[in-house]
Amino acid sequence: MYLKVKNLKKSYGEEGSYIEVLKGIDLSVEKGDMCVIQGSSGSGKSTLLHCIGGLDEIDSGSVLVGGTELGGLSAGKLSDYRRESLGFIFQFYNLVPNLTVKENIQVCEYLADSPLNLEELLETLGLTEHQNKFPSQLSGGQQQRCAIARALVKNPKLLLCDEPTGALDSETSRDILVLLEEVNRKFGTTMLIVTHNNSIKYMVDQVVYLKDGRIKRDYRNEEKVPAARLEDL
Amino acid sequence: MQRILRKRIFRDLKENIFRYLALGFLIILGMYIVISLVGAADSIIEGTKDAAEANHVEDGQFQVFVPLSEEEKLSIAKAGVVLEEHFSMDYELPDDSMLRIFSKREKIDFVQADSGNIPEKNGEILLERRYCEEHDISTGDEVMIGDIHFKVSGIGTAPDYESVLRNFSDSTVDSVRFGIGFVTEEDYRLLKERGESISSEEYSYAYLLKGKITQDELQEILQDMEMSSEDIDDEFFQEYWERTGGWMVPLPKVMQCITAGENPRIASAAADKSVDHASGLAAGVIILILFAYIISVFTVHGIEREARMIGTLYAMGVKKNELLRHYLALPVMVTFIAATVGTALGYSSFGVGRQMIQPYGYFSIPSVGVRCEPYLLIYGLVMPPFAAVFTNYLVIRKKLDRPALALIRGEHKKEKAKNRRIRGSFVHVFRIRHILREKRTAFTVFCGMLISLLVVMLSLNCYALCVHIQEENAEDTRFEYMYTYKYPQEKVPEGSEEAYGVTMKKETLGYSFDVTLLGIHEDNPYFDANVNEGKDRVLISSALAQKYNLDTGDTLILWDEENGRYFAFEIDGAVKYSAGFFAFMDIDSMRELMGKNEDYYNIVFSDFELDIDSGRLYSTLSKDEVKKSSSVFVSQMTPMIVTLLAASVLIFAVVMYLMMKVMIDRSAMSISMLKVFGYRKKEIGKLYLNGNLFVVALSAALGIPLSKAVMDRLYPYLVSNIACGLNLTFSWQMYTGIFAGILALYFVINRLLMFRVSKILPAEVLKNRE
Repeated sequence: MYLKVKNLKKSYGEEGSYIEVLKGIDLSVEKGDMCVIQGSSGSGKSTLLHCIGGLDEIDSGSVLVGGTELGGLSAGKLSDYRRESLGFIFQFYNLVPNLTVKENIQVCEYLADSPLNLEELLETLGLTEHQNKFPSQLSGGQQQRCAIARALVKNPKLLLCDEPTGALDSETSRDILVLLEEVNRKFGTTMLIVTHNNSIKYMVDQVVYLKDGRIKRDYRNEEKVPAARLEDL
Repeated sequence: MQRILRKRIFRDLKENIFRYLALGFLIILGMYIVISLVGAADSIIEGTKDAAEANHVEDGQFQVFVPLSEEEKLSIAKAGVVLEEHFSMDYELPDDSMLRIFSKREKIDFVQADSGNIPEKNGEILLERRYCEEHDISTGDEVMIGDIHFKVSGIGTAPDYESVLRNFSDSTVDSVRFGIGFVTEEDYRLLKERGESISSEEYSYAYLLKGKITQDELQEILQDMEMSSEDIDDEFFQEYWERTGGWMVPLPKVMQCITAGENPRIASAAADKSVDHASGLAAGVIILILFAYIISVFTVHGIEREARMIGTLYAMGVKKNELLRHYLALPVMVTFIAATVGTALGYSSFGVGRQMIQPYGYFSIPSVGVRCEPYLLIYGLVMPPFAAVFTNYLVIRKKLDRPALALIRGEHKKEKAKNRRIRGSFVHVFRIRHILREKRTAFTVFCGMLISLLVVMLSLNCYALCVHIQEENAEDTRFEYMYTYKYPQEKVPEGSEEAYGVTMKKETLGYSFDVTLLGIHEDNPYFDANVNEGKDRVLISSALAQKYNLDTGDTLILWDEENGRYFAFEIDGAVKYSAGFFAFMDIDSMRELMGKNEDYYNIVFSDFELDIDSGRLYSTLSKDEVKKSSSVFVSQMTPMIVTLLAASVLIFAVVMYLMMKVMIDRSAMSISMLKVFGYRKKEIGKLYLNGNLFVVALSAALGIPLSKAVMDRLYPYLVSNIACGLNLTFSWQMYTGIFAGILALYFVINRLLMFRVSKILPAEVLKNRE
């Protein structure tokens, strides 16, 4: 088991504005699996992702990633954890505007002890011909590819994707999902994908439904459909 | 990673080239002002000090009625004091100018030849530099002193005549009418024998204490030296002596003893330059604060704009210190390069060289080289980048302390939401909402404007001080002539107004100045001082009130150095008189207080030139000399004022540009969005830009009086060594002019910046909006 979350609780605000977002989450994800987390707005899926990513502190419970317990880690140690183990992909690409595609990826390449081969990664993501372009010269899909490449170049063990296709059209979304599938297959990266998109659940190994801060359903998808064949994206 | 991010630094520099050029220009200009003013002041102050030390400048000098006897000289020498005769005779030259001739010096106050040589043989003379410049005299020329021809062997300076004042009481140097010269001992004796001098020989001794005796101890030795009145062949003295019954008290031999510190001829260039020094440093500190502030505003603005990207990098594991180093790199690089250029310019002939021209045209000082004082070099080269590192470190650290998630979400520190109801038309409500939403930016603009206004006020205060001195000194001086007696006549000259003056001392901010306690009649026509009877009541001149911050009801304490006692007076009020530090009191009360006869006087004022023998007088002051003295003060200050004023206006314009750029940059996206909705240029102007105008106008309305008040408080410290009143008031026209200037500047800058904003395509805005 690569990821193990036990009785995770997280709340925000005080007194009048107090809101309990995660009300005791138990979740396990196998190494190399792709897991999708679904749920309506405000169900707590992004908060869960942020807690696993060490971006948000947990109130109680336990988050164990690759044997590392995140609860109680200092900000510095959390930063080391993210540096060594994690890759993040967001709905908005948040690229450095005045660095080229290649340089944006290199920013994270330098963080890793054994990064992936940059040229190979560019080739895999179809960015070779765009490597010297600035983000403003790219389409949304190309920018997201760049963001994926930036997240992957460190060769992270866990890739956290927060609405990776949220800002993309159907065709581009499919391209991105195919890419993630390929990365998973090629590098064995464990992936946690938070999405509203109902079709993505067909391509992953594990599906988790959240409702009001609790896991409503958690099941393994035995009949995976390749991303290229997904409909209604 | 830093290597990759470094590429971004140069692109950021390229993208915002105008902003960084403006910032660089600001730093270059700031460092140029500081280095040129302070560097020139340092060069003159330290250079003249070193030259004076090398030339064995005196510790003091004293004048005697008759030369000291051998025993008296021996008793002084035994105390460890080095003594040298600096006797002199004054000669009138054919062009009506006057030359004071000394024998060349061997022990104290050596003459330094700038060109040629010190007289080696008879028939040679060394003349003082300023006199030669005014009379177009070169080495090798001939001058006639008395009836003897001298060949000018050299042109130079003497440390005891930096200000070539004929009398200690003279207020200005007039090198057209007065100069000094040095001849061999034999020639001096020959001149004396010929008896062509216009007055009798002056017996002055210069001394060096050599650390073996104090000034007070020497004073005591000198005070013990007495003489018989018969030894003095001055007819005016004899007449006065007989009439006043002086024979009843012992006659001191020493007329006057003055230390080097009190001597207005010594180290006067340094004293003059110390104003530049203080003003330059003050300007430097303000400028440093100013650009540290601007850089921090830019950095904060940049980080806020890039918050999501920073948060993402954080999420990826990039550490705060790595980003901190990255965000510090560009400001430090820009400030260092600009500071280096500014410092180099400051030390060039356009800077220090230019500021050093003026003192050479007034003071008789030897050529001194440009000094690179280590503290100033450090200030010029290190302080700007250090200030950038320090302030940026603080603000960036604070900004980067926010959690990665907050940065990714673009969360700002939220204020408690207040549901303000604003009534009025849509445009009115929109404008107010815009101003309230951007109040942090408005405060930033206000602070930037306030700091840059301080530099403007510094230079305008210098200007106001000079203008007031020039105008008021002439306006307040109602007499045409003021005669100060050494030996007063029996009767007050007809048509003149008698007065009784005693010079006392008063200290402020570490400097001691002469204050004249002046006894006058209530109905005297020359001062608006209706003095009240009473030995402890005075009216003070406005200059004294301003300099010492005195008011009605305060106690004025003066130190009578000659008699070693303090006097305390209650101030009845201030009288408009800017040309000197005066405390006016009823003349009869003053005579009584000082134990003088009921008809005693030692000063007369008149509307016309009086026929008084010069031998009776210490000094004569004419209204023209007062005017000239004011204009000399103004002309000495002019280069500094021009430099400061021009630079401060430029600095202000640049700061305004940068601040408004921040304002308009923040509005640019919204303005472009309005264009997408179909708003026209005029309508957008109404909604956004008029709100900015309101912010600028309000900032100016608050900033102008506030910066003026701050600078008025600070200014007395900058001119603490200058003996003048401190009327720093601005006319309402000046205030209006500054306000109008700021608004005009706003419209120009606004037009420039809006031109850029209007070029942004709406489609591009939408694309970048994410």
